[in-house]
Amino acid sequence: MRELRERLGSRSFILMAILGPLVVLTVTYLIFQFGGKDQQKWHVLIVDPANVMEHKIMSGEDPNITYSFATNYIEIEQFADEKRFAAFDAMVEVNEKVLSNKVAFLFYREKPSFNMSVNIRYQVERRLEEVLAKQFTKLSVTDFRKIKQPLNFAFRNVYDPKDVKSDLAGWVGLFFGAVIFVFIFLFGMTILRSVSREKTNRVVEILLATVKPRSLMLGKILGIGISAFLQLFLWCLIIGLGLYFMRETIFVDMYDASNQVAAARQVSDYNQFVELVFDRIQFGVMIFYFSLFFTCGYLFYGAFFAALGAVSGSESDGQQFLIPLILILCFALYAGYFALENPDSPLTTFLMYFPFTAPVVAMVKLSIGFAEGSAYQLFVSLFLLLASSIGVIALAARLFKNGLLQFGHTLRFKNIILWLKIK
Amino acid sequence: MLEIQELTKRYQRKAAIDQVSFSLRKGEIFGLLGPNGAGKTTLIRIINKIIEPDSGTIRFNGDLLQQKHLAHIGYLPEERGLYKQMTVEAHAHFLGALRGMSKSEINTSLDYWLKKFNCADWRKKRIQELSKGMAQKVQFIYAILHEPDLLILDEPFSGFDPVNVELIKAEMQEMKAKGKTILISTHNMRSVEEICDRVVLIHQSKKVLEGRVSEIQEQQKTGEYAVKFRGNMIAFVNALWIGFELIDKEILGDDRFIARVKMRGDNSFEDLLKTLMGQVKIEAAWEVLPSMNEVFISTVTTESDEK
Repeated sequence: MRELRERLGSRSFILMAILGPLVVLTVTYLIFQFGGKDQQKWHVLIVDPANVMEHKIMSGEDPNITYSFATNYIEIEQFADEKRFAAFDAMVEVNEKVLSNKVAFLFYREKPSFNMSVNIRYQVERRLEEVLAKQFTKLSVTDFRKIKQPLNFAFRNVYDPKDVKSDLAGWVGLFFGAVIFVFIFLFGMTILRSVSREKTNRVVEILLATVKPRSLMLGKILGIGISAFLQLFLWCLIIGLGLYFMRETIFVDMYDASNQVAAARQVSDYNQFVELVFDRIQFGVMIFYFSLFFTCGYLFYGAFFAALGAVSGSESDGQQFLIPLILILCFALYAGYFALENPDSPLTTFLMYFPFTAPVVAMVKLSIGFAEGSAYQLFVSLFLLLASSIGVIALAARLFKNGLLQFGHTLRFKNIILWLKIK
Repeated sequence: MLEIQELTKRYQRKAAIDQVSFSLRKGEIFGLLGPNGAGKTTLIRIINKIIEPDSGTIRFNGDLLQQKHLAHIGYLPEERGLYKQMTVEAHAHFLGALRGMSKSEINTSLDYWLKKFNCADWRKKRIQELSKGMAQKVQFIYAILHEPDLLILDEPFSGFDPVNVELIKAEMQEMKAKGKTILISTHNMRSVEEICDRVVLIHQSKKVLEGRVSEIQEQQKTGEYAVKFRGNMIAFVNALWIGFELIDKEILGDDRFIARVKMRGDNSFEDLLKTLMGQVKIEAAWEVLPSMNEVFISTVTTESDEK
């Protein structure tokens, strides 16, 4: 309880729990605000010596861009240095062979924003499509564009023809798994530092005179774990509410297709994402299993961090033994990605059962979905992770007990083996 | 009160405690003595159930020592440690709760002890704001906050100024008068002589000496006597003649001396006084008992030489 109270009362917790998501929301808002409604006003010179575009472009749809046309050749050096071009922010070079080689350049003075570049590219492309359709076909521009659409060739699972369990859903699972591991790492480090600090300031001797080492270790892991869970909950709540509020009020028209002609492709991706987030992901199930895997994964790794803190001779001593632990965490994230790419591989099944990688791989598999009759794998994974957590806690408790009152030594692997042997 | 029987604890092949037995009686101050590395801290940790012995038993008020008994034991370790960010009050609540005290009990007890140690205004201070001595004092208060029946103090006087050392000693005497038992481990032999009723000396993980302080001093006396006199030193030496041997002398000034003398043959203390009377003016004479410091050094040295 002291650990939990200290975490909840600490400035860093309050900062992380409230300011953290607020920072995320602010950054999101700024990206939306300045990425979506660009304040740059550009004057673009289109150099078109062959007059392919006939001085026409779909201007007027974006008030921030005005176009001028030149039908003589202008060298880059001239554009860069001469005063008469100083008013132009960029020069688009459309050569006479553009219709055949499909090559055009834009030379800018200052790099355009993402939206500005998308808009200019889109407007120039649209005009050239008109010219192409007119010159080489007898089709209307609308028909030409229909033909130009690439084939939407989707690969679907025969058991999932509607693609409910798509790769995109797998990414959501990987995201959940990554969140588990980020929190395990952050709060695992908190456990490590807390144990090391109690060792360093020797308060641990008084604590051990009142509680058993195992209780002390579990209290520490659970206290910090509850604060981690609480922080995660606050993050989800604040970010969720903030995004919902932004979507419903500030950016209500942001993804309206008529306002975003230039970003049609992004709209399509967005819609796919929105559909995924709001319709396809079963958040109830995901969050339920997320909580279980988070808890078991945290207990499993938390015991390692606590034991490492206990056996270290000083606060800095455990660093060298921390590296393998961090590598294992990184490997677990990679295992999640492997599961995403190869969901039905036997190795993925093994990684789902392997306690070090189980939390992230299981989340990926859960979001992608299990094949008919293999849903039991999830429960096996959870059971093995829980059983391993109990085993690791028992071993960690022994290390914790035997290493906690050892001071000033340099931690070696043989110390760990020795303290594991002592009952 | 506390019976320790044949306690053994080994780390790998090395014994930290080897077949050590002794007992503490209710209402006594018991000294646990020994050179560095003798096994005192291991023993104290076993009594506090911080570590388990390999063999042997500890009985607390007749029952085998269990976790529940820790609520009746107070402990001040040698290496003092507190959470620096916590206030004096919050820390007391934390440690008091671990010892099974209620909030009101903690508040009442904390009020009492802070006032008694003249530090009532420290209550809201963070530990990191206190000086080392102040923090030591606070930690002593935490050790006795739950009014334990057995108080274990490991080097209780280290870090304290002489005023506070006297304060702690007085408090220990007061607790003893209330029937509390105190086990202190210290290298401060003067304090042992002043406050301990009985002591046990551990050397190289074994018990080498146990008993009342006065009895141990009596056992280890060497037959020396001290005479404080006024007069001529040559006259004093001449008077001793062959019946007595002058061991040492201390010149005090104003023709006053303290001489340490050993008997030869069957001569007694009375014979010495008779011999000296008329030769010098005797102000005081007494049998010299070894200090606990001398007992400690001679025992430890002898044991080491024998090994």
